[in-house]
Amino acid sequence: MAVPAAATPPATGPLLPRRAGLGAWFFLTPMLGWLLLFVIVPAVMLVVVSFSERDSLGRIVYSFTFENYLRAFDWTWLRILGISIWYAFLTTAICLVLGYPVAYFIGRSNDRLRTLLLLLVMIPFWTSFLIRTYAWISILSSQGLLNAALLGLGLTTAPIGFMYTPFAVVLGLVYNFLPFMILPIYTSVEKLDNSLIEAAYDLGARPTRVFLQVVLPLTRPGIVAGVLLVFVPAIAMFAITTLMGGGTNPTIGEVIHNQFTRARNQPFGAALGVLLMVVFIFSLWIGTRQRRGYDE
Amino acid sequence: MKKRTKHLMAAVCAGALLLAGCGKHDETLKIFCWSEYIPQEVIDRFTEETGIPVAVENFASNEEMLAKLLAGGGDYDLIQPSEYAVQALMRENLLHRLDDKRIPNLKNIAPEFRSMPFDPGNRFSIPWLAGFVGIVYNAETVTRPIVGFADVFSPEHAGRIIVVDDPREIVTWALTTAGIPINDVSDENLATITPLLQDWLAKVKIYDSDSPKTALATGDADLGVVWSGEAALLFDENPKFQWVMPAEGVHMFVDNLAIPKTARHKDKAEEFMNFILRPDISKMISDEFPYYNPNAEARRLLSEEQLNNPASYPPGFDVTTAELFGDIGEQASKVDELITTIKLQ
Repeated sequence: MAVPAAATPPATGPLLPRRAGLGAWFFLTPMLGWLLLFVIVPAVMLVVVSFSERDSLGRIVYSFTFENYLRAFDWTWLRILGISIWYAFLTTAICLVLGYPVAYFIGRSNDRLRTLLLLLVMIPFWTSFLIRTYAWISILSSQGLLNAALLGLGLTTAPIGFMYTPFAVVLGLVYNFLPFMILPIYTSVEKLDNSLIEAAYDLGARPTRVFLQVVLPLTRPGIVAGVLLVFVPAIAMFAITTLMGGGTNPTIGEVIHNQFTRARNQPFGAALGVLLMVVFIFSLWIGTRQRRGYDE
Repeated sequence: MKKRTKHLMAAVCAGALLLAGCGKHDETLKIFCWSEYIPQEVIDRFTEETGIPVAVENFASNEEMLAKLLAGGGDYDLIQPSEYAVQALMRENLLHRLDDKRIPNLKNIAPEFRSMPFDPGNRFSIPWLAGFVGIVYNAETVTRPIVGFADVFSPEHAGRIIVVDDPREIVTWALTTAGIPINDVSDENLATITPLLQDWLAKVKIYDSDSPKTALATGDADLGVVWSGEAALLFDENPKFQWVMPAEGVHMFVDNLAIPKTARHKDKAEEFMNFILRPDISKMISDEFPYYNPNAEARRLLSEEQLNNPASYPPGFDVTTAELFGDIGEQASKVDELITTIKLQ
């Protein structure tokens, strides 16, 4: 959902879009069908359900009520949404700080090294993220690898409780989303025109200035895409936050999941889902504006 | 069947699946059950003996099961609801009446489980396994004697407690402590127990329903309120994990097999029920999931060690005194909101 919006540059300049021919429509049909079936229809269903009621077994009773939205604007749920956005923001910021140098290094290295490094970035995708999250549990738990190492080296006398803390939640999120930051920035860095950087140096700019005034603006599309690819899914992520955080700080994804299951309240879950969708659309809108600013 | 024909059939089937939903005429028994609750061995054995192929789909809560069943997508032949879900489904007339003649092994079930209040006489459901929600503690690190919930949630245990991530359960412990019947979850009663819950939940470190034994085994928690089967596994691993039936009152859950009205293969589902009620098969279930087995004949086959596990078979406990959940309908949403709000404090 974030990919097409972030990757399509807005139409600029005087070029008028040509009308799509029959052939183009033929090749577009699967994509349009996919969008209709898996994006538009579910979104409409979500909105419809969010105005409905439910019976005692949790079955949806179609009606028109604002009750779910009135309840959704309660302090409890807004605070949970706020906490989730904060986690997502932290995750995005850390991923950017960690990911940018890595992406820059990969993008500027020679072909052979680059292929190897890109492969290393991708390898985690070969395993389910749930399994990788469980691996973190065995590293961070009280009798886990990290504590065993710290105790063995005499750096601590009692095991440190890394797991089931906000630290563990953010660590899990950063670990899982880092490749989504590195890859788009890498594509921007790869396209960097070396002559522009040389020109800046020739004109007497110091490295900091070259980075801030030449490299950073030129790689901005990659940064914006990376930020969106991390921030948007991180808000709604619930499996990692529950497993690593011990469930003490509910996140919005977790709360919505619970409405559809144990709380037997799909309409309320749908209303929270619609609110989350609004947050997504807002983030994407800001993202596109950022890119437009760059293109102009 | 030749390999090529097999491939061809698979391809045709896959195509049909896309078009109209394959399997309208196929003979597969579709079971919708809790994850990690039916040993694969048992299913393989059933297929081996009867020739009936089985497809299994899992759920993680009764509500998830109800939601999927009522949405009508699954064509499930057998479901595995807990007692209050059986009660709700019976009330809505959504379960098939069982044919006693086709399930003669029902005689193996202990008499107290033949007359459970949610389905007396097992007209609509047969018991699978039962269990308790109680206290487990690590005797090496917990020094205070533990008798009930009040001891678990004492100040010295703050930040060391794990509990199941189940709002209804958590509310039940507070209701029992306050002397309120556990199915009486009115708004007033919820308000009464809110201060107690605020005090308790501030001391909880981890909420985990799926595998609460993990954090206890790794030392990330020292004590907790968990499912008896989880505690039984911990005890098997290391007897330092002691089990306590809470003094305030014990909640028992009974998981069952039932046949929804929408089932396509009622007779095969009954055949499966009869199969798992066989003592040798029921023992296989107990071997893997050490909950309380309602099958008296199967219990005879269990080892001394299995029967002496205090979490599986609490010594001297009369199961008819345990409290059972009734369906609370829409209040489930209130209970969920209350616990979510308190978690945020």
